[in-house]
Amino acid sequence: MKLHKIFTIMAVACLIASCNHPSIPTNAKQESRLPNIYPDYTEVTIPCNICPLNFVVREGATDVVAKLTYPGGEMTYGNEQKVLIDEEEWKEILKASKGESIQVEVYANVNGSWKAFKPFNIYVAEDTIDHYISYRVIQPSYVAYEKLSINQRDLTSFNEREIYNNMSVSTESTGQCINCHSYKNFKTDNMLFHMRQGYGGTMIVSNGELKKIDLKTDETISAGVYPAWHPTHNYIAFSTNKTGQSFHTKHINKIEVQDTESDLILYDVDKNEVSIISELDDELEVFPTWSPDGKKLYFCSAHFEYQNDSIAPETEMIQRYKEVKYDLYSADFDPETKQFSNMEKIFDAADSLGQSVTLPRVSPDGRYMLFAKAEFGCFHVWHNDADIFLMDLKTKKTEELKAVNSPRSESYPTWSSNGRWIMVDSRRDDGNYTRPVIAYFDKSGKAHKAFAVPQQDPNFYTFFLRSFNRPEFMIEPVTVTPQEFAKKAKEDAVKAKFAKN
Amino acid sequence: MRIRIEHIYILAFIIVAYILLPVMNADYLFTIQENNVFISGHTFMMDIVKNEGGWVAWVACYLTQFFYHPWLGSTILIAFWVAIYVLTLHLFGIKDKFSPIALILPTILLFNLLDYGYWIYYVHTPGFPFQPTLIVLFILLCASLTHPLFRRTKHGKFLSNALPFELCIIFLAVCTLTIWKPEKKNILNNHQSAILTTLKDKNFKHEMRMYRAIDESRYEDALSEMKDLKEPPTNLMVLMKNVALMHTGRLTEMFKTNNCGIMPETGDSLHLHISQLAAPLIYYQFGQINYAYRWAMGNSVKYGQSFRNLKMMIRYAIFNQEFDLAAKYLSMLKTSIYYKDWAKEREAWLTSSTLFIQSKEFQNIAPLVNDEANSLDYDEGLCEKYLLEHFSNQLNPNSSKQEDVIICCSLWNKDAYAFCVHFYDYVQAHPNQAIPELYQEAAILLGNAEDSPITLNNFKFDTLVSDKYNNFVNNYNQLLQQGIDEAEMARRLKPLYGDTYWWYYYFYTDFNIY
Repeated sequence: MKLHKIFTIMAVACLIASCNHPSIPTNAKQESRLPNIYPDYTEVTIPCNICPLNFVVREGATDVVAKLTYPGGEMTYGNEQKVLIDEEEWKEILKASKGESIQVEVYANVNGSWKAFKPFNIYVAEDTIDHYISYRVIQPSYVAYEKLSINQRDLTSFNEREIYNNMSVSTESTGQCINCHSYKNFKTDNMLFHMRQGYGGTMIVSNGELKKIDLKTDETISAGVYPAWHPTHNYIAFSTNKTGQSFHTKHINKIEVQDTESDLILYDVDKNEVSIISELDDELEVFPTWSPDGKKLYFCSAHFEYQNDSIAPETEMIQRYKEVKYDLYSADFDPETKQFSNMEKIFDAADSLGQSVTLPRVSPDGRYMLFAKAEFGCFHVWHNDADIFLMDLKTKKTEELKAVNSPRSESYPTWSSNGRWIMVDSRRDDGNYTRPVIAYFDKSGKAHKAFAVPQQDPNFYTFFLRSFNRPEFMIEPVTVTPQEFAKKAKEDAVKAKFAKN
Repeated sequence: MRIRIEHIYILAFIIVAYILLPVMNADYLFTIQENNVFISGHTFMMDIVKNEGGWVAWVACYLTQFFYHPWLGSTILIAFWVAIYVLTLHLFGIKDKFSPIALILPTILLFNLLDYGYWIYYVHTPGFPFQPTLIVLFILLCASLTHPLFRRTKHGKFLSNALPFELCIIFLAVCTLTIWKPEKKNILNNHQSAILTTLKDKNFKHEMRMYRAIDESRYEDALSEMKDLKEPPTNLMVLMKNVALMHTGRLTEMFKTNNCGIMPETGDSLHLHISQLAAPLIYYQFGQINYAYRWAMGNSVKYGQSFRNLKMMIRYAIFNQEFDLAAKYLSMLKTSIYYKDWAKEREAWLTSSTLFIQSKEFQNIAPLVNDEANSLDYDEGLCEKYLLEHFSNQLNPNSSKQEDVIICCSLWNKDAYAFCVHFYDYVQAHPNQAIPELYQEAAILLGNAEDSPITLNNFKFDTLVSDKYNNFVNNYNQLLQQGIDEAEMARRLKPLYGDTYWWYYYFYTDFNIY
């Protein structure tokens, strides 16, 4: 009886194993092209610690088989149209392929006959990627919002969990919008995100202590909006914005999000003080970001003069929306005195190119800067022409990162902590839903082909009707629980003080 | 089998339930399922089940699909209620003349489903028609399985002992709370039941039937809903009626076909907006493709994804040639039981532009899409107001259909200045063509106004129209001299002039846009 059970278990195990590792079709007809796979992982360079790159073969096949050949071995996978790779086996494959490549041969059974497609490579870099990323999960909606969450994803597995979910405090009458999460030096003991409307305030974790702050003062336009943690001191630069939305009657961009007013502030977390960085007339300053040594602040600013007193600024902004173009600026910063000086334009996009640059981010070694560029405006996630560009801060030369860009919107660029990986929000799939894509950035300053953050179910992005906004790298998970955030969210916010410079 | 009193009660309940559901409220049930969604696959399932009570919601969403055929959906639901009745009888040992007690829960569930009225457009709970029933059934099944007295004896018979009657009362109370609809606020707080809307509000049903007819391009059917109305139509009905007239080339009959809409009274805390009831379809039918998408997206964000919104998003994406986006939505809709054919038909349009261009839908809508450049604006959540103002202010129509819409919207909106400008352009563009009677009526009325940008000397009007207008003025002045109030004047003049623009212009003063 006991023997019988063992045989049964072995038979089932063999059956499962044979299902996981199908055999290669012997009579396949060779195709000269690459297979149509989704997500597109052909010829990409991946970190040596990322989770399996599961994909679906879109060739109208009933069955597919993928053979992965790597240094010292080969493995086959296939489950109907999907190629789902076992996580443990994938780790072994990556370990063996570090600094080398994995060759993938795809076979598809189309209308009863097998096709063998041109093989492609997946290059495995020796560089690792930060374990975690976080993003806001939101429908690409217009004015309405309902359920929003900020989630963190372990890139070495498929595990994802919520950092905070607005429904934990939202009621039928009091909705809450959450946005703009940010971390100090890729760590989570100093982090923040902002909440609007119901239980509004900025949630700040400072050296592990959770606070809820009201950053709006009588002297500033709004609470903090786009944040940037200072890398060495407990300061946060924010933009303050008066933001509005309007809608395109025909254009597929659909939405324009515009700031009718926009300034920069500095928040001293320890002193709970807000001071002004820049509030120039006729300038719309936004998107602050620090150099890694904390001695320079970069930001964007658009020169815009209101010309018609007879209409509201919002109306004039809507009428002249194509004239709003942002340039790139820098200012020196003394962390001890909190003084800014030598403000200069470092990239003239508006006048020289007729373009608008936004969302600058400096590489951890301080050598490069990524930013998004499009024809006009500040909200490039809704601009189909928005692309990611790279500036060499030494030479001030800029180049388009063609390997990262697509014909659709790319925005929110960010760097991994080791500077070897770039993550971008891309609408390349369908123009509407943003997905985080990652690209290798090698030591010579070259970006490689971007690929979507892998999902366990390769059809996930197709069937998921929410966007992944503002993706950020983290080297550790957020340890404050959603319940702790929710509890603090329900408390009154501590009002920040205004300090004159 | 011997017929017992318990059987008679449940039979009576089944008959009543069938009468109240598929017989009397088939459109209501159909609309509920259209505002629901079920997409096969792991992603949708996980999105639902990760919430509290997610599995119940997921099953409820699946079952709600069957209201596409109201008799089928009702049969499934009624079968569950019968099961609840049977389980309640057995669990609590209720018999004979007390057996109606076991019908309390099914009755509450039945009336709970009918107690939504206009709330069906605003409910956040996925699969709400089945959710409370499934929860109650689940509780009863658990109670039955765990209650030792209910288990079979060695002799294969149920023990006669049952749970105490007091527990039955507590159970009923708990279940009633379970059936609570949080979106509907507090029933005890002066809530006027929406059952009255569901059962008695004819316009509510007309709206649902007209929506479906227009969605399926059955414009004549939509128009037939407006015939023989005993009560004033709602603004939404008027909008849909005019959509049907527009696509059948009869928009100039707008004021002959009852154009005086009212705002429906819901009798509770619900604030109705056309934006939520039908804006995506209305905008689409008027060629405002981006706004159709904006509201389909907005409503799906706020009130949950639905087949209705998904269809509108597909239409938008195909029309604006966002084919990858259309393919995404189509791949979802193709997993449904009842909309996969609709999806497959549209999927063919992605690969064949000829099929799309030849489609009835394209031919109806395309002439309304203006060639003018894109602009930025905002509709303030008021679909009807936006459309009327947008078209009233539009110049340079690029089709005769659009020309009619522009002129008629300025009349509908009582924008005299805009009408005069459009009328002048119209006559210049069609020098040898008879001017439609409606335009003549309006021009005679509005062209003579002090601030009119046109003079009427150069236009030739039909004598019949001019004479009728003079008679209208005389009758109006006579009644005015007699000191007749406006409402009475409207009533007396309606038989003679109710189908003219003059009557609409003077007496339709209750234009509440919502």
